[in-house]
Amino acid sequence: MILVRIDNRLIHGQIIETWLPYTGAQRVFVANDELVHDVLQQEIMSLAIPQTVDSFFVSVEGLSRAVEDNGYGEGHDVIILFSNCSDARRAFDAGFGFDILNVGNVHYSPGKRQVSPSVALSDEDESCLRHLSRKGVELDFRCVPNDQVQVRF
Amino acid sequence: MAEKSKKNIPVVGIVLVTHGTFGETLLEAAEMVMGKQDNCLAVGVDVERSVDETMELIRSSIQKVERGKGVVALTDLFGGSPTTMSLSLMKSENLEVITGVNLPMLVATLQSRSMDLQALAEKVKSAGQQGIKVAGAMLRKKAKK
Repeated sequence: MILVRIDNRLIHGQIIETWLPYTGAQRVFVANDELVHDVLQQEIMSLAIPQTVDSFFVSVEGLSRAVEDNGYGEGHDVIILFSNCSDARRAFDAGFGFDILNVGNVHYSPGKRQVSPSVALSDEDESCLRHLSRKGVELDFRCVPNDQVQVRF
Repeated sequence: MAEKSKKNIPVVGIVLVTHGTFGETLLEAAEMVMGKQDNCLAVGVDVERSVDETMELIRSSIQKVERGKGVVALTDLFGGSPTTMSLSLMKSENLEVITGVNLPMLVATLQSRSMDLQALAEKVKSAGQQGIKVAGAMLRKKAKK
C-alpha cells in the first residue's frame, strides 16, 4: 500500500511503531526542503528505521522524480511524508499525484482551529486541503492506523 | 538533620525526555525509592506543542541541569521524537542520549552521577537490561531446588 501523510514530526515513533508495520513499506520518502540540506538530521531520523527499509530525503518539488527513479509505481509499499499541508499541495501541483492523503499530526499554534486531537488547521492549511479535495484527493484524518477514519471536510 | 544543598558538587545532569507525562511520573517513582533529587528534570513531548517549542524546552532543561560534567538524556523510545529531538542537541551540548528508559535505569543514573558521562552511560544501559527478569520463572526454579 501507498501511504501519503502529513506529519509535522516526519519520521517518529508513530511511523516506526505503527505505520511501517501496517503498510509493510520498504521505502520511506521524506519530502522536506529544510531536511534535504541537513545531513545530521537525516541521519538522526534514519537511525531507528529497520535495516530492511530504505529512507530517501528529497525536496518537495523533486519528490515526483525521486519516486519514479526508485520504482514507486511498481506495486511497492511506500510511505511518503510531508511536514505540512502546503508542502503536500506543492508536491501534488508539481506532478506527484495521490488519491488519498492521510492527515496525521499538524500541531496547534495560535489562530489555528483544532479539528481533531492531533490536527489543528490554519486558514492556509484548510485552503490547501480543500484544493486537494477538489482535485479528487480523499482526506483521511487518522493519527495511527487503528484510529477511526474521519473526514472533517 | 536537614541535608545540605548539593548544588555545587559536580554531577552529571539528567533530563528525562519522553512521550507525555511518562518521564515526570517515572521521576516521581524514582524519588520514592531514592528520595528527592537535584539536577534532574522531565520534559514531555506533547502533540499540542510545536517541534521548535519542544526543542527549546529540552535545550533549556539540559542547560539548567548542566553542572560541568555533561548531561544524560534518558528517552523512552528509540526512533520516537523525544529521542530524535534530544539527539539533534548533541552538536551544541555535552550530552549523551540513552533510549528505552525504565526505573532500574533511572535509579542507576541517580546512583552513579559522579561518574564520567560515557562510563555512566554504559552502566545505565547494563542496569536497564539487568533489571528485566522473568521473576516468576526464577522463583519457580528456586523452589524446585
